[in-house]
Amino acid sequence: MTQMMTIEPATTHATRHATGRPKIEVRNLDFHYGTSRALKDISLSLPERSVTAFIGPSGCGKSTLLRVFNRIYELYPGQKASGEVLLDGVNILDRKQDLNLLRAKIGMVFQKPTPFPMTIYENIAFGVRLYEKLTKAELDGRVEDALRRAALWDEVKDKLDASGLSLSGGQQQRLCIARTVAVKPEVILLDEPASALDPISTAKIEELIEELQADYTIVIVTHNMQQAARVSRQTAFMYLGELIEFADTETIFTSPREKRTQDYITGRFG
Amino acid sequence: MLYARRRLRNTIMMGLCVAAAGFGLLWLLVILGELVWKGTAGLSISVFTEMTPPPGDAGGLLNPIVGSLLMTGLAVLIGAPVGVLAGTYMAEYGRHTRLTGVVRFINDILLSAPSIIVGLFVYEVLVVTMGHFSGIAGVMALALIVLPVVVRTTEDMLLLVPDALREAGTAIGAPRWVVIRHVAYRAARAGITTGVLLAIARISGETAPLLFTALNNQFFSVNLGAPIASLPVTIFQFALSPYEEWQQLAWTGALIITFAVLALSIVARVLAGRGESR
Amino acid sequence: MTDIAAGEGAQSDGRQASLRRFALSDAAFRNTTRAAALLVLLSLAGVAVSLVNGSLLAFSTFGFEFLVSESWNPVKEKFGALAPIYGTVATSLIAMLIAVPVGVGIAIFLTELCPRPLRRPIGIAVELLAGIPSIIYGIWGLFVFAPFLQRTLQPFLISTFSHVPGLSSLFAGPPYGIGILTAGLILAIMVLPFITSICRDVFASVPPVLKESAYGLGLTTWEVTSRVVLPYTRVAVVGAVMLALGRALGETMAVTFVIGNAHRITASILAPGTTISAAIANEFTEATGDLYTSSLIALGLVLFVITFIVLAIARLMLARLRTKAGR
Repeated sequence: MTQMMTIEPATTHATRHATGRPKIEVRNLDFHYGTSRALKDISLSLPERSVTAFIGPSGCGKSTLLRVFNRIYELYPGQKASGEVLLDGVNILDRKQDLNLLRAKIGMVFQKPTPFPMTIYENIAFGVRLYEKLTKAELDGRVEDALRRAALWDEVKDKLDASGLSLSGGQQQRLCIARTVAVKPEVILLDEPASALDPISTAKIEELIEELQADYTIVIVTHNMQQAARVSRQTAFMYLGELIEFADTETIFTSPREKRTQDYITGRFG
Repeated sequence: MLYARRRLRNTIMMGLCVAAAGFGLLWLLVILGELVWKGTAGLSISVFTEMTPPPGDAGGLLNPIVGSLLMTGLAVLIGAPVGVLAGTYMAEYGRHTRLTGVVRFINDILLSAPSIIVGLFVYEVLVVTMGHFSGIAGVMALALIVLPVVVRTTEDMLLLVPDALREAGTAIGAPRWVVIRHVAYRAARAGITTGVLLAIARISGETAPLLFTALNNQFFSVNLGAPIASLPVTIFQFALSPYEEWQQLAWTGALIITFAVLALSIVARVLAGRGESR
Repeated sequence: MTDIAAGEGAQSDGRQASLRRFALSDAAFRNTTRAAALLVLLSLAGVAVSLVNGSLLAFSTFGFEFLVSESWNPVKEKFGALAPIYGTVATSLIAMLIAVPVGVGIAIFLTELCPRPLRRPIGIAVELLAGIPSIIYGIWGLFVFAPFLQRTLQPFLISTFSHVPGLSSLFAGPPYGIGILTAGLILAIMVLPFITSICRDVFASVPPVLKESAYGLGLTTWEVTSRVVLPYTRVAVVGAVMLALGRALGETMAVTFVIGNAHRITASILAPGTTISAAIANEFTEATGDLYTSSLIALGLVLFVITFIVLAIARLMLARLRTKAGR
């Protein structure tokens, strides 16, 4: 049994999201790894400029769903999505969708920090140069801007030529966020961005997410329920490839409608 | 009782293993020792500055050394890029394709195929059609030996690059080839360089494929259209000659090659180690 | 600061241009790498085709006789491959008989017995030695090892076995120094580091849990090695041996110096003989006449077929361990 609680932010939460028109709409999405069905008939709608969290026990499909949004799964053979995912009303699962452009619009930060094997400056300039021809001064400004947004500027401004790999884990993750922000995406996908970090770095990342939602639509996958509660406005609870419940974060954590959600939130399984 | 027998058996077998190690290493040490002993006896500056002498005269190994450097360098310039590209296909674009499986299998065969057969192949294709032996034929034969070594290490090293890094590159909108060139290659740089160095080490001592491609040349020549001297072929020819001066030069040449090969292998190893520790 | 907002509009033209460029260059790069991969296949195919092509004359002249005839007479232009084939197989067999037990023994020593601080240096030394060019072994064999055998081992073998029926002809004198046995011994020394370094890697792939639980039962080191490590890695060890055999069969320089280049088959392994690769190396540039050259290329084809089969089996066996280890 699947009862989906699809939120229509424009109506239900009009007071909280002044600009809350749907940025991403998922309609009847199925996902297959070879023959096994990893996502089952998912439908939900993510409001613009707001943080949405996906929670659920491991293997529930939350990361898979996230990886559909920028079609990164297509790097691997045998993985297939069907249904519709609309970004601003355009179906990105359409075969005609250009993947590079899609990924430039939808940034992603991964579980483990993935700085490229190049300097801090280059880590950020690399993505920018792909799509824009900028002067040296413009590029410098862009790098600084991105690093400031990721709250990393003060820590690295004197060593922009150092290797990205020389930074600490937390700094590396913020570098990855800066890199993502620098290409001016509209949506940022975060796949358990703090699970490999210490508590202080985690707090910094969470603060950052809070600030970034003013400009970006953010989707975060996390196994840490407190984190979901702290940073998100909406939360989707998934279980075994199904979307069990999707509502306002406060509702999910205080008065979930589904028993399975309740059980997971209170730590009875997972 | 039973235990005592088991222990005795263990002692005997383990003793044999230690003996094997001692026996094997002894021979290898003897060979290296003899090589250094006989090789250094003829080592002087003239080895590097003078031409190969006529029988009974003193001289050096300048022309074979230059010939070897030239052919080895060109062979790497030809073989390594092709090898890197092929390895790139196998680890990146074609990772899960049937073609990659076939290429990997064939490449492994090529990797340990007798090098003299490579020489015969190049003879048939280049020497026969050109009508004469030439440096370029030697270069092609050596390039064919470089190829499988570089293919193998490139594929292995690219497969060690975490997929997360590729995903990250892809996720900022970079097309596949940019991800490969700017992210995967950089991450695997130390490993790929190691592979190229090992390939250089491998061909710098190769004799068989040069015997009937580049042949040999008593005189100084860097003309790739004509026969060119090389260190291994010169060693082969001089060692089998009855002249003492030539035999001495063969030993010295052997020492030079061994030293070069060992140095290359050690540098490759250090590089690879550094790549790992990062 | 406000420079980076959710990007829209203005730069989309530039992006379209970039995208077109990307699509083109990605396709170009993809096809270049694919072509390079195909070139690997092509080069092996080229080797096969050119060898077949080059040996056509010899096979059409002698037919099957080429493979079973011992005579090799450049003057009468009568060529048969049996003597070099015999020499190739005999030298490789001698080499494997010695190098396999010793090589596996050293590998066991390195993985199970060697004091930890020595493991890495000895392991590295073995791998470095595996990379030494074979011509070094050849020159050493010619100047040092063959005279040494002529003075010591060979007279000893001849006198010891001279009255033992069966073995007396195997070790019949005179002690030439050079010959099948000497070539075999040098090949053994040459492939030794090779076998050792592969076997060491293979033994290291045994899951530690497996060994630990065996030691936990109170097994001795030898029992763990013979009942756990070797059975677990058996297929790969055979693969390593086959790989080494492939090397020994095709080795040219280590053999050419000391084989004696005599196209005949004698019962005594102390007598000079020849191998396929040594015959090609010694005679190819001096071969006069198309039939002579073609016969030498035909020898190369025979070697190619033999080593291809051996190496293919080796790779398949090594690949089986890899699947088992889940890599």
